[in-house]
Amino acid sequence: MDIGFSPDETGFREECRDWLHANVPADKRPLDAADAIGFDKAWQRRLFDAGWAGINWPTDYGGRGLSIVQQVIWLEEYAKAHAPWIGANFVGINHGGPTLILNASEEQKAYHLPRILKGEAIWCQGFSEPGAGSDLAGIKTRGRIEGDELVINGSKIWTSFAHVADWQELVLRTEEGSLRHKGLSWVICDMHAPGITVRPIRKMSGQTEFAEVFYDDVRIPLANVVGGLGNGWKVAMSTLSFERGTGFIADQVKQSQEIEELIAAARANDMIKDDRIADQLAQLRAEVAAVRAMTYRNISEVVRTGQPGPEASVIRLFTSELGQRLERMAVLLMGEDIIDFAYGDDDAVGDYLRGFAATIAGGTAQIQRDIIGERLLGLPKSR
Amino acid sequence: MDLTPNDEQIAFQTATTDWCRGNMALEDARARPESLWAELEAMGWTGLTAPGMDLDHASEALVFAELGRFLAPIGLISTAVASRWFPDVAEGKVALALTASQSEPLRVLDPAGSSAVLMGEPGGLRLFDLPDSFTDQGGTLHTTAHAQTIDLSTMQSRHEWTSSLWTEDDPAPALHLQLLGAAYAVGCADAARDMAADYAKLREQFDRPIGWFQALKHICSDMAVRAAAARSQLYYAACALDENAADAAFHVAAAKRLADRAALDNGRANIQVHGGIGMTDEAAAHLPLKRAHLLQFIAPAARETLLA
Repeated sequence: MDIGFSPDETGFREECRDWLHANVPADKRPLDAADAIGFDKAWQRRLFDAGWAGINWPTDYGGRGLSIVQQVIWLEEYAKAHAPWIGANFVGINHGGPTLILNASEEQKAYHLPRILKGEAIWCQGFSEPGAGSDLAGIKTRGRIEGDELVINGSKIWTSFAHVADWQELVLRTEEGSLRHKGLSWVICDMHAPGITVRPIRKMSGQTEFAEVFYDDVRIPLANVVGGLGNGWKVAMSTLSFERGTGFIADQVKQSQEIEELIAAARANDMIKDDRIADQLAQLRAEVAAVRAMTYRNISEVVRTGQPGPEASVIRLFTSELGQRLERMAVLLMGEDIIDFAYGDDDAVGDYLRGFAATIAGGTAQIQRDIIGERLLGLPKSR
Repeated sequence: MDLTPNDEQIAFQTATTDWCRGNMALEDARARPESLWAELEAMGWTGLTAPGMDLDHASEALVFAELGRFLAPIGLISTAVASRWFPDVAEGKVALALTASQSEPLRVLDPAGSSAVLMGEPGGLRLFDLPDSFTDQGGTLHTTAHAQTIDLSTMQSRHEWTSSLWTEDDPAPALHLQLLGAAYAVGCADAARDMAADYAKLREQFDRPIGWFQALKHICSDMAVRAAAARSQLYYAACALDENAADAAFHVAAAKRLADRAALDNGRANIQVHGGIGMTDEAAAHLPLKRAHLLQFIAPAARETLLA
């Protein structure tokens, strides 16, 4: 076992660092989706022009095709350079694009993949519904086949960037009367199609980033189905195999920056003299270190065996809850200044309020605990 | 960068686990036979860390975590550390003293049959000579001097300060002790987790295994999370020591802190998952909890190191 990097890897790290140093925008990324869209598209184009778009995409599809260790290095340097979150491009680059690579026809890939990489086409995700949250297989949005079209009715919710998106990865029920995971299809939905209504939802922090989407007789060509009718669940799950345990590297680096800032802040305002606060900070610093250790261990597992170990779900749960502990500590150190918070403030209180998403979005902490209990410890399945 | 054990290390780890399972079952930790130490010596666990063995910290961490999983004798840690840093003087078993100031007598753990006592201090180790009369070495058993500890497998005694050898101005020896203590705690946390998960699969209420219920399942999942975080940090810390990294002291302290917390929290959770039977002396659920309480005092992580 070792924690060192080879000369080649160190050279690559310097290449990443140099490019990021010269190219990371000086302006802060706006938080509201409508304000951020121009910023996000420009940053994605810049990444693309320099060959840094789709670092884990195969080169055949215009990606960088980095090895897993190179991905780690890029993501570490990306976060250290305070490079902006890819924002509105998140779904296309990290989710929709990889799903297309694994399941789509050559025509579908040829049209969509370059547009995603260049930041020209914004994608959003249509999975959750008002009645299908943690129980995703309870999807009710349906598509009736009429000729060579699907006629779609229903609604989706918590769709990030829906009001600025061009396309949506939409999972819906295409077999009438089908139950649970059967009879679902994964469809490329044109967000500009007639019959789509987007109702943006304001978060408790004041930003409007996600939305509810209504479908009223929306017509989508059957040619937009990916992976075949009725295979939607399988297609949606295949995306997970693209995730190689690098998903939390940026969070880890961000958390390691945050804990140093918190310790400095607690020293500056003397709150570190409170034994309980000093002890909590010490514990947090140890936990932040452990996230890197867990990530490196998981990445090593991928290098050795080709796939992440079952403990990947542990990292996800631990990192998301640690992020919230850090946000709570930041707010604690603010003291009564929290009272001055106003909608839209981009400060520690805003981070704290937005941070509740970490244990809800993409699988709640409770679902993660089910997965850990069942897959890692072999406890009986309760759903 | 590679934080997974290689084939050789996995073989070593597996062999350790198998031997422990067959010869040093956790359930027997309430009363270890006197012959155990001789068996451990014969198997080579006591001389594993001697300078000539050239074993890296990563391999040691793996093996000691397995030993810790079966609540192996505390004296193994001190003997291992002494054989590395005092190879010329430390012979046979070396007991472990908790860190103390010179005004108080030493609290010595696992004294039976020991020829010396090791004590960790910030920045160094001390090795005290142990008078024959204190142990059974003179052919006489002075068992009255030995008292029970909360951890049923560990006896203790009090010992006045004598002259000692000291590893001054070298942080590595004390970090070695802390790393092996962390490895023991990681094993202890694993043991509690596995005991709880096994029981949750077996015990039925409301016509199904209690592990079916999320309330119980999630207690077990949290045990797995704590154990995984502590184990990963242990590996990282061992590598940091092997590479003489500038921040090795922080990483070892972080490993000890997380492992101590995991051992204690998992020890408590294990009792809760067991319910009534977990309260009893008869069941083994209390053994990891009690061991965890003892481990908290062995080379604990200093807050200043974690915040430095």
